[in-house]
Amino acid sequence: MRIEVQQLSAKIHRTPLLKAISLAIESGELFGLVGPNGSGKSTLMRCLAGLQRPAAGRVLADDSDLARMPARQRARRIALVAQQADTTERLTVRQAVELGRTPYLSPLRGWGQADGAAVERALATVEMTGFADRLWHTLSGGERQRVHIARALAQDPELLLLDEPTNHLDIRHQLSLMAVVRELPITRIVALHDLNQAAVCDRVGVMRGGRLVAAGPPHEVLNEALLAEVFGVAATRHAAPDGTPRLHFSHAL
Amino acid sequence: MTMVAVPTRIEARRSIWLAPCLLGLTILAGTAIGETRLPFETVLQTLANHLWGAGYAVDGIDAGIIWSYRLPRAIVAACCGAGLALTGVVLQALLRNPLADPYLMGLSAGASTGAVLVTVAGVGGGAVSMSLGALSGALLAFGCVVLLAHAVSGGAGGGRAAQSAAAIILAGIAGSQMFNALTAFTIARSANAEQARSIMFWLMGNLSGIRWDDVGPCVAVSLMGVALCLWHRRGLDAFTFGADGAASLGINVRVLRGSLITATAVMVGVLVSKVGAIGFVGLVVPHAMRFLVGTRHDRLVPASALAGAVFLVAADVISRIIVPGQVLPIGVVTALVGAPAFALILVRGART
Ligand SMILES: Nc1ncnc2c1ncn2[C@@H]1O[C@H](COP(=O)(O)OP(=O)(O)OP(=O)(O)O)[C@@H](O)[C@H]1O
Ligand SMILES: [Mg+2]
Repeated sequence: MRIEVQQLSAKIHRTPLLKAISLAIESGELFGLVGPNGSGKSTLMRCLAGLQRPAAGRVLADDSDLARMPARQRARRIALVAQQADTTERLTVRQAVELGRTPYLSPLRGWGQADGAAVERALATVEMTGFADRLWHTLSGGERQRVHIARALAQDPELLLLDEPTNHLDIRHQLSLMAVVRELPITRIVALHDLNQAAVCDRVGVMRGGRLVAAGPPHEVLNEALLAEVFGVAATRHAAPDGTPRLHFSHAL
Repeated sequence: MTMVAVPTRIEARRSIWLAPCLLGLTILAGTAIGETRLPFETVLQTLANHLWGAGYAVDGIDAGIIWSYRLPRAIVAACCGAGLALTGVVLQALLRNPLADPYLMGLSAGASTGAVLVTVAGVGGGAVSMSLGALSGALLAFGCVVLLAHAVSGGAGGGRAAQSAAAIILAGIAGSQMFNALTAFTIARSANAEQARSIMFWLMGNLSGIRWDDVGPCVAVSLMGVALCLWHRRGLDAFTFGADGAASLGINVRVLRGSLITATAVMVGVLVSKVGAIGFVGLVVPHAMRFLVGTRHDRLVPASALAGAVFLVAADVISRIIVPGQVLPIGVVTALVGAPAFALILVRGART
């Protein structure tokens, strides 16, 4: 799905959180979103998921206005893994992933085989099949994160929004998750704090103070000058053994 | 009470038949048991006479007790139990708060104010019944709480959903306090000791005034509640990870939350106006049922409705027979029986 953001502004209680963001993300693209804490990444994600109505501007999903799209329709096309979402309910991993099928079910249309298959596929993708019958509250933070991603995948979305999906994950699962995300054939927008992870995206957008200050291929955008200005860190770029550029952060400015 | 395993699909289908049978038996038991001992045969004969004109010779007073007094009472008790338990399920799910109970939105406080204004302060000049006063009070309090919650959460479309759940709870507390104060004020100003005692009694829950006239509205609202909750079972499930989680699953949070909370408020308003504010059922039965049948609302909704109904009919029977010559407020029984049961369930649940 192609997604286009036009002059998007968002407010909460008259505090502007996003200011005139314009951005187009092509179908099938992996777009990284980086920026310091509080720069508005999660807020932009919420707008893209239709959870927050823009104060001005609009979001177009394949040329149809997101604000006019019925919620169910939207949830079949866009899935969001929020930065933090927890529950005290005693439900199993499988039940949590089954929630992803909600937009396909109605009071009269019950659970079908296709729904079960989607859930199994999603569990397998995040390597949680063996955990399917575990209770949610017995999972570690990283396992919960993977279940959230499985739930989003069970929605069969055309656009997957991941807000800091590698949070809580150990290094192997960080790498394998990013590998999974890279392989998905759909449009993906991923908010990340690890700038080296962002480097595997097709393009990255840099946010600061509610504005999108740069967007483009990672190696062009994430240069020393921008890192110093936006993140306030001194960074140098050097080639990793495999030849790809890596960022090395020496100190805060 | 045993910990049953999560039922399979076949068991679920069987329980569709089990539920009405169990409900029927409970109401029959509620009709048969009472302070005046009546032979079970008489009970069945009386019911047969009224239901299909069987024409058995039954003593008129006995028949009156059974048909005009005990049966409507048992039916209304079942409706109240089901309605209160359902409302607890709905509010706990939508507001993501395990302590949410049916009176959270100021309904019992408003009902007591309405009832007291009619009975003690003489509002309406005798033309308005206490029940109507209580219903109006409950709905008025609910309206105030909704407006207040709306003002607190800013009424903004962009507001975060979790904040508006907190706003609803806080507004409910504020609204309840205010209407409780109004009730206390009215009683202090104009009630005598006897009136104050009878109001206290009513507030703890009282089914003794129930007649056939009351059955219709109670059955109607509780059937509506069951149907609505079953219809929205997946929407309720979607709130597992909070209102934002539900929204990203395609649930229109405002519409669903607004309509379910309003519908259950009307239901509880009607029930409270008939029997007073029976505590405990709405808070505890949903938790108990979550332990027994799981958190999914396709099972939780019918299980809670059934368990609430059975529990309240049983509590009513106990309240009538436990102290000879005296009827305890049913709210006392629900708390005395329910609290240990709840503790037991919690302890057992924690061990699994
Ligand atoms: N409900 C709210 N009310 C007021 N301000 C808010 C609210 N939610 C977020 N903000 C503010 O909006 C700004 C952007 O928040 P957002 O969560 O989008 O940042 P972020 O880029 O995702 O940060 P992080 O990297 O820490 O996740 C922050 O300054 C935050 O304090
Ligand atoms: Mg964030």
